[in-house]
Amino acid sequence: MNTIFIAVNLAFALLIAPVVDGFERKIRARLQNRQGPPILQTWWDLIKLFKRPTIEPQDSVKSLYKLAPYVTFTAVLTAYLIVPTLLPSSINFIGDFIVVVYLLGLATLSFVIGAFSSGNAYAQIGSNREVSLFMSEELLLAFIIGTIAVIGKSLSFDQLFPLPLRISSALALILLFLVIYVASARLPFDIAEAEPEIIEGPLIEYSGKHLGLLEYSIFLKRLLLYSLLLNFILPVQNPTRLIGYLIGIMILSVVYSTFEAYYGRFRIDQAVKLMKKLSAVALVVWIIALVGW
Amino acid sequence: MIIEILKGNDAKILRHDEKVILALVPNDKLRTTAELLFKAGCYYATGVGVDERLLGVGFSMYHIFNCESEKRYVILKAVASNLKIPSITPVISGANWAEREAMDMIGILFDEHPEPLRLILPDDWPEGIYPLRKEFHYNERPPKVEFKPPKREKKPGIMEVPVGPYHPTLHEPEVFELHVKGEEIVGAVYRGFHVHRGMEKLAEERMTINQIPFLAERICGICGYTHNCAYAQAVEDAAKIEVPERALYIRTILLELERLHSHLLWFGVAFHLLGFDSGFMHTWRIREAFMDLAELLTGNRKTYGMNLIGGVRRDIDEEKKKKVLEIFEKTKKETKEVLDNAVGMKELISRMKGIGILPKKEGREIGVVGPVARASGIDTDVRRDHPYAAYGDLDFKVPVYKEGDVLARFLVRYEETFESFWIIEQALDQLPPGDILNEDYELPEYAVGIGATEAPRGEDVHFVITEGGNKVYRWRPRAPTYNNLPAVPIMLMGEKLADAPIIIASIDPCFSCTDHMVIVDGEKVCRCSLDDYLGRL
Repeated sequence: MNTIFIAVNLAFALLIAPVVDGFERKIRARLQNRQGPPILQTWWDLIKLFKRPTIEPQDSVKSLYKLAPYVTFTAVLTAYLIVPTLLPSSINFIGDFIVVVYLLGLATLSFVIGAFSSGNAYAQIGSNREVSLFMSEELLLAFIIGTIAVIGKSLSFDQLFPLPLRISSALALILLFLVIYVASARLPFDIAEAEPEIIEGPLIEYSGKHLGLLEYSIFLKRLLLYSLLLNFILPVQNPTRLIGYLIGIMILSVVYSTFEAYYGRFRIDQAVKLMKKLSAVALVVWIIALVGW
Repeated sequence: MIIEILKGNDAKILRHDEKVILALVPNDKLRTTAELLFKAGCYYATGVGVDERLLGVGFSMYHIFNCESEKRYVILKAVASNLKIPSITPVISGANWAEREAMDMIGILFDEHPEPLRLILPDDWPEGIYPLRKEFHYNERPPKVEFKPPKREKKPGIMEVPVGPYHPTLHEPEVFELHVKGEEIVGAVYRGFHVHRGMEKLAEERMTINQIPFLAERICGICGYTHNCAYAQAVEDAAKIEVPERALYIRTILLELERLHSHLLWFGVAFHLLGFDSGFMHTWRIREAFMDLAELLTGNRKTYGMNLIGGVRRDIDEEKKKKVLEIFEKTKKETKEVLDNAVGMKELISRMKGIGILPKKEGREIGVVGPVARASGIDTDVRRDHPYAAYGDLDFKVPVYKEGDVLARFLVRYEETFESFWIIEQALDQLPPGDILNEDYELPEYAVGIGATEAPRGEDVHFVITEGGNKVYRWRPRAPTYNNLPAVPIMLMGEKLADAPIIIASIDPCFSCTDHMVIVDGEKVCRCSLDDYLGRL
């Protein structure tokens, strides 16, 4: 039974992640006084990319360059086995929270390695920025995990979902909400891609199915992070969970894309500075949790 | 004071009136005269090389200075003896490009020019063929010559980031090659001139004086009308044509309308480059109203085709006037709302504050114009200093900021936008009755005229020598970006790569109007050819 549920969860993620992106594009377009593309446009884009031939740049380290998109995609997909989405079923073991964080780290890392191996100057600058941003958000994430672990007295998701209602857990979830925003590479934090500055940075040389896979993994990563946040809030064994989950995804999409429409891009140093400040806040929250509030 | 300087240097005054002083300066006194003029507060506007052999003179160079304090343009004419004229670049660095352009196009040699290298002509252009000489015809295609691109070596630790020829930041083909250490820019090379269209030659050889306005309007895809006006003014100045007052007011209204849509376009581009796409979409939505207004008044959304020598082609009647004011009421409110929102956004402002600084002194030496100059504390505005069209009768403020950064340039344009609303409202209100076109004139032979307008990007200078009949002997337009572009590499030095797009865009560049080249290497600023630069690497 559990295996079937997990398969349903995976299929749901694979199908819906691009739709969520299409939905957000539509919201942004409406806020920017545009008609916007149809909600399924992201799917059509991906299908188109998968049909196109792939080209490897001359100066690239071809093996790494070709491997990177698959590693990124697989890493994100593996995380779906641990984090439940539509149905409350997943593979759980002690310390799976840490594993999810590492899988996301692996995805970012292989993304960056692929970009570095392309040999393109823009890709290298973009990867540099991606790494700096990742490092600064990692510190913040570490404090948040610490807080959540203290509150739930565990590092396993089956103990942590949902979190008990306390001041510290509310604060930790707000911080998690912010980290997810940063990690999903949205304005003002899409510094690594920054189309007018460095022309999509790490993605610049990728084409066809490789580009499709990388973009697909970005959408999947976003949905994964949404689900992670919602799981901390939603009750587990309850028939309303399904509806709550779907509504939650919609609300997060609307809120995040509204934020995105009203911001300009940060410079990398500004973003890192902001993340440092947030880390300090997270430290305080951790202490609050330790005190037991 | 200017006239004393000229007389003290044995200059022969050829024309002296309230707008222009034209003086023939002996070659040995040229450099001192230019230096004295520069020190008296006149900045170098542009230089024009002319093939005057048909007039029995030979090759000559006209250096045009903008003397704001006397509200005049001063033109120094020097005639080449044995193809040679002393260079004034050693005393005024702003003359560099103009002199090299004359070198390329006419074949005048400038003595003691610090970098006598090819500037405009492509690498495969043969030696000894000068396109603006009278014996060269506009449809000639000289054979290409082989050339070897110099070998390039890499400097350790420095990454070369090409911005262009195709890059989402730039909407025209040109190259900024940025040398980057980490995120910091340590060197910048600009290479342009990919889209030289040979308009001057075309105008001289094929077109009549009343056709050129339509060609001049096509110099720029955004601020074309101001080129059109400047050309018409230059011919009117040369031939002393009286333009009906109503026509002058109509020109003013259209010039300001053009400034409005151009500034809004720039705001949109700036927002987009800073990642604030909502601002971009909304400013461009508002801009549509101005395009519609232009269509209402001229029949065209862009490239109005309104000017002829001696006036304009369409009148503004009461109904149109009412409609303009109606639309204005709405758009003014909307513009204010969007721009004020943007100014209130802390992260947007912090991306512009303190970056891309151009100090006043450097700005004056290069001769920057328009909002770039006004943001660096240089109080210059052709509308006020050399009143043309109906600006003499109208009331407006000229915003000046001291900071010299991107934010200052943003704020100058912000204030100018609302001044433009005010100017159009006044002009519509005071629109005098009467004719709109004076066709009763005769073109004198070989008269020199100059027309200057304040384009949205800065001072726009057109220089004309008439030929009599219905032709011009020499026409030279100078777009504002020609003077502003040399300042960009100075602004880029030491800044972050992430800021490069907004710094480049902050001068509101118009490359196809300009297309020249400038190089900054490390601490040293040199304007030289790319090949020479790469050869030295």
